[in-house]
Amino acid sequence: MSDPFSINGGSAVAMVGKDCIAIASDLRLGNQSLGVSNNFEKIFGFGDKCFLGLTGLATDVLTLKETFRFKTNLYKLREERSIEPETLANLVSSTLYERRFGPYFVSPIVAGLGHKDNKPFICGFDSIGCIDFAKDFIVSGTASDQLYGMCESLYEPDLEPEQLFETISQALLNAVDRDALSGWGAVVYIVTKDKVVKRVLKTRQD
Amino acid sequence: MDIILGIRVQDATIIATSKAATRGISILKDTDDKTRELNAHNLIAYTGEAGDTVQFAEYVQANIQLYSMRENDIELSPLATASFVRNQLATSIRSRKPYQVNCLIAGYDTKKDQPTLNWIDYLGTQVELPYGAHGYAGFYTTSLLDKHYRKDMVVDDGLKLLKLCLKELETRMPIDFKGVYVKVVDKDGIRSVELD
Amino acid sequence: MAGLNFENYQRNSYLSTKGFATPRATSTGTTIVGCKFPGGVVIAADTRATSGPIVADKNCEKLHRLAPKIWCAGAGTAADTEMVTQLIASNLELHALSQNREPRVITALTMLKQHLFKYQGHLGAYLICAGVDPTGAHLLSVQAHGSTDIGKYQSLGSGSLAAMAVLETNFREDLTKEEAIKLCADAIEAGIWNDLGSGSNVDVCVMEVGKDAELYRNYLTPNVRSQKARSYKFAPGTTAILRESVRDILDVEETVVSFDQMEVDTEA
Repeated sequence: MSDPFSINGGSAVAMVGKDCIAIASDLRLGNQSLGVSNNFEKIFGFGDKCFLGLTGLATDVLTLKETFRFKTNLYKLREERSIEPETLANLVSSTLYERRFGPYFVSPIVAGLGHKDNKPFICGFDSIGCIDFAKDFIVSGTASDQLYGMCESLYEPDLEPEQLFETISQALLNAVDRDALSGWGAVVYIVTKDKVVKRVLKTRQD
Repeated sequence: MDIILGIRVQDATIIATSKAATRGISILKDTDDKTRELNAHNLIAYTGEAGDTVQFAEYVQANIQLYSMRENDIELSPLATASFVRNQLATSIRSRKPYQVNCLIAGYDTKKDQPTLNWIDYLGTQVELPYGAHGYAGFYTTSLLDKHYRKDMVVDDGLKLLKLCLKELETRMPIDFKGVYVKVVDKDGIRSVELD
Repeated sequence: MAGLNFENYQRNSYLSTKGFATPRATSTGTTIVGCKFPGGVVIAADTRATSGPIVADKNCEKLHRLAPKIWCAGAGTAADTEMVTQLIASNLELHALSQNREPRVITALTMLKQHLFKYQGHLGAYLICAGVDPTGAHLLSVQAHGSTDIGKYQSLGSGSLAAMAVLETNFREDLTKEEAIKLCADAIEAGIWNDLGSGSNVDVCVMEVGKDAELYRNYLTPNVRSQKARSYKFAPGTTAILRESVRDILDVEETVVSFDQMEVDTEA
């Protein structure tokens, strides 16, 4: 009982490939050491090719998921189009910074393709909305240290969708195996210009 | 040390709550019912700080019933009910004196013909589960439930599994929790069940 | 900014009384410098962002634009430098539009210091603010509490000591533009090598009287990652899959059909 970021546990990662992106997370929700659910998804879609991953305190994950569902729905009504990943990133940033002196305990990541140009985009945030624009990969959650290590060594630029899937999956799987608070299942989204493939991975259950 | 346990089977959700009401080192009552009926097909079971628990359960109960009165007798679905309760707790945790209430919500979705069990804690963490518990009961029973739970179980199987859990709790829990009240939520509504 | 929302402040204070830790914000544990030369001013920054001991971003941007010819280097809490800078940038543009004049560096500085003073140091923004305006070239700095400095050369951030050592030894009043750029870049490099909080590349921005500001993103890249010894690609099928679902995205193509003649029902 000390760090709100690691009460529930959970990790997420996003990567850029050649004309595609991938975003993945584990499925555990715990209460300290006790695993409660093995089906707690941390990645949420906003429009066809735009995804938000939320790790951290589960109540804030749920609250923010709903907040952004609300905000992006209003955006869609006003603009008559889905939100672009870059726009979502700025929306996330300002929503988090609004609570500068009482933050949500989350570390969000955004990944997507531009709706018109299909340009890959990923970024990450700290809990008060500072954006980390990265060209290669973004990590977050209780296994973020391990993910940094995995991604730094496994990642290479311009991977094709299927190859990117293997790379991001192995990076996530091997990282969460070194984290007691993450794991218990994993899910990967591979986004290309004409389709989104969601894969639930076979993982260790300990 | 209160026990609340929930098991979702194919056609119903079963809830068990301990009868003992304790304060400090004393058992004040052995007929305490830690559940409230939110509407015809939704039952909340709760543990937490004395005072907060009943106050909170009856507050959400009243509001859920008020909603149905206002909105042309529409009964809130289990998902809607659970979302409402979660939202109340998630708002409460940001207030000066938050409710310290953990709960399980057993529901039966009459439109989809599906039983549900929602696990919600005082922070506003909500998750839909096949079985779950709050407090120490979870540490003793989840392993049993992991081992014996099957997707195709019916109420009787669920009750058998529940008895297994209670036997474990009776042997391992450090204090007598005075048995449990068992309630079943299914398509016909909420009913009490006597375990033999 | 419509104003900050303090709702969670109570919750988090409550949580911290129960022994919860407070979150770790990304900080630009930075080296930033600025130096003047006859006819202009140069600012520079490193590109490392840290979160505790972890390097969160190896190539972040710490040079912010307040106005086309006023730029600002930020150290401290990354979110604060970014947000405070964006806020002042938009207010400065509105101000310039309403006054029908080019914005001045001193105006930007005053807006920054008044905003930061209002927050009593709780916004952790430490900025070196420079630019050219109708009154000439300026180099100023602001601290989180709202105090400001004016100087011919300045440094801020965790690497400011290393950088200042370089500035102090090599600064002259009669630097050329190229010498000023070199001096700033050398000062940042001192931070990159000697301060743990600073690293990666050097960004430089040059503002000269009567010219457009020039941003040299990654002016120096002394820490290029070497080619990996081997590829770590996995054979397809390495990862076991339980379930797969595919959503096809329909692409709607629009074509304009032109009619030679409008169809009209002439019978009636």
